[in-house]
Amino acid sequence: MEETISPEMEFLGSASDALCIAQARRRQVYDDNSMYKSKNLHAERRRRQKLGDRLLALRSLVPIITNMNKATIVEDAITYIQMLQRNVKVLSDQLLEMDSLSVQEDEEPTRDEINASEQMKKYGIKEDVKVTGIDGNKLWIRVVFEKKRGGITKFLEASTSLGFELTDTNVTTSKGAILVSSCFKGIYGNALGVEQTKKLLQEIIRNM
Amino acid sequence: MYEEPGCFDPNNSMAEGVYSGFAQAMANNQKQFEENLELSAEELSYHHHNHQEDTSVSAMELELQKYLSFNVENCDNNTYRSHMMQQVVDDRNQLLSYDHSNWNTGDIGFTQTPDLLNLFQLPRCSLLPNSSISFANSNHDTTPLGFIEDLPASDSTSVLYDPLFHLNLSPQPPLFRELLPSIPHGYNLPTSRSDANSLFGDERDSNGVKAYQDEDGGMLEFTRDMACIVRGSGNGKKKKPFTTERQRREHFNKKYTALRNLLPNPSKIDRASIVGDAIEYTKELLRTVNELKLLVERKRCGRERIKRHKTEDDAVGDVEQSYSGSLRSSWLQRKSKDTEVDVRIIDDEVTIKLVQRKKIDCLLFVSKVLDELHLDPHHVAGGHIGDYYSYLFNTKIYEGSSVYAGAIANKIIEVMDTEYAATPSTATSI
Repeated sequence: MEETISPEMEFLGSASDALCIAQARRRQVYDDNSMYKSKNLHAERRRRQKLGDRLLALRSLVPIITNMNKATIVEDAITYIQMLQRNVKVLSDQLLEMDSLSVQEDEEPTRDEINASEQMKKYGIKEDVKVTGIDGNKLWIRVVFEKKRGGITKFLEASTSLGFELTDTNVTTSKGAILVSSCFKGIYGNALGVEQTKKLLQEIIRNM
Repeated sequence: MYEEPGCFDPNNSMAEGVYSGFAQAMANNQKQFEENLELSAEELSYHHHNHQEDTSVSAMELELQKYLSFNVENCDNNTYRSHMMQQVVDDRNQLLSYDHSNWNTGDIGFTQTPDLLNLFQLPRCSLLPNSSISFANSNHDTTPLGFIEDLPASDSTSVLYDPLFHLNLSPQPPLFRELLPSIPHGYNLPTSRSDANSLFGDERDSNGVKAYQDEDGGMLEFTRDMACIVRGSGNGKKKKPFTTERQRREHFNKKYTALRNLLPNPSKIDRASIVGDAIEYTKELLRTVNELKLLVERKRCGRERIKRHKTEDDAVGDVEQSYSGSLRSSWLQRKSKDTEVDVRIIDDEVTIKLVQRKKIDCLLFVSKVLDELHLDPHHVAGGHIGDYYSYLFNTKIYEGSSVYAGAIANKIIEVMDTEYAATPSTATSI
């Protein structure tokens, strides 16, 4: 917009002729309209170009093309997407079928679990619970426990059932142990003391 | 020299013969018509003398001659004209009995007319019981255009045009039928320059005019059909599809909404967004297909290897069953009303990003889902950020699981939505 207006302004500035001035005046009258028009025009042009570019990009993705006009681009894209969806379905069904046939999975996890406790012992990591209070009824906990399949879920479940909620949480797994450091909040407004919370958590870990 | 109108497919030679002829006619100079006018008057009288006994037949013959003259017009007008004049005078008596075979051979010189000839041969055999109708004057190219233009002036013109009209509407062999309609169409065009239009208007009742218009559409239809057939494209619409611009626009918009309905994460309704989403979705589908193919391949390899091991009596299971050489990678996003899930898989590591608007206990539910999907969370981080709850899960896929990105995302979204629906607005205790 700036570019289109400024030449006219320049023209006005440098005008010395009566004719020029008259033209400029005329142009000023149009200017208001043309400013809006040109703004709109530019916007509309950009919009149309955006759509056009995207249509071309879509067309470049679709391999099966018939004609090269806007309507058929959309049509072809529809058919192509449907085809791909069908493919996905077929393949995923195939995968499910294969899954149901195979019985492989049971062996693997146990090995991991064995490794976990071994690793913990190896690195001297102990199960641990630390609880501190932050303002209000917020607590901050730090729990270390042995990594197990579904261990985190169990921990979370237990906490929730006790009326706790983990807000800003960070869970890390390393060397066969899981470290949970999180803000702990009592959902129901229970202001459980630090000690009580600690005991509860220890209980949870023990039962995992 | 020949101009092909752009509306039809040049592959069909038959049509081409006719159409190009009329294109030429259309491209003809007005001047030529006028030149022919003088000659035409004489010829007209000649013709009528000869054919009085069978006006319809003769008229048809004349019509045919006119068609041919159209084609031939652009050849050497001057020489042929004089030649024709002479022939007309000389062969007047032989016109009706001119041998048809001569007609055929005599026209080799004209590059165009053979097509038209072939064209006329067919109907001639089937249509005209009177084989005595000759194309005698074919050699005389200028049974001129001007002849037609001159017609309004003469009384006998009405007789001439009737049979043509009759030809158009009578049941005819389809080939000729398809082509004939085009002829009067082309026929119309040069004559429109003259007063012949009024003649047509007079002679034809409203049906006639309509017939022409229909045929006009029919001609377009025909050509479009041909184009469709030749291109082999399933365009679906053979007829001229939309009578109004509005219908076209509506149809267009329907297409866009249909596209939108296919997409999993529809957001805005404007066309640019729809197309943008479609692009992303197409790419995602391609990734998913590749991923699934890879998984299936791996599974198959793994199973085969296991079978092999069993037969070989190998006790230790093969751990590397899942590697088939290429790195598995996939990425997709799913959005629902309150939840946004981003799943990225590289090899056996899955990174899940979850953004949740409402207050649900995301951690617990997602953790459960991960367990179900045989994903081992190595790292989880997240919390309450502004209006949202955002979590990041870094997980590893357990060996042997063949979960894929789409499944993960869909499951998470599903769980989120159901859980949200299940729990009424929880007490916020911030």
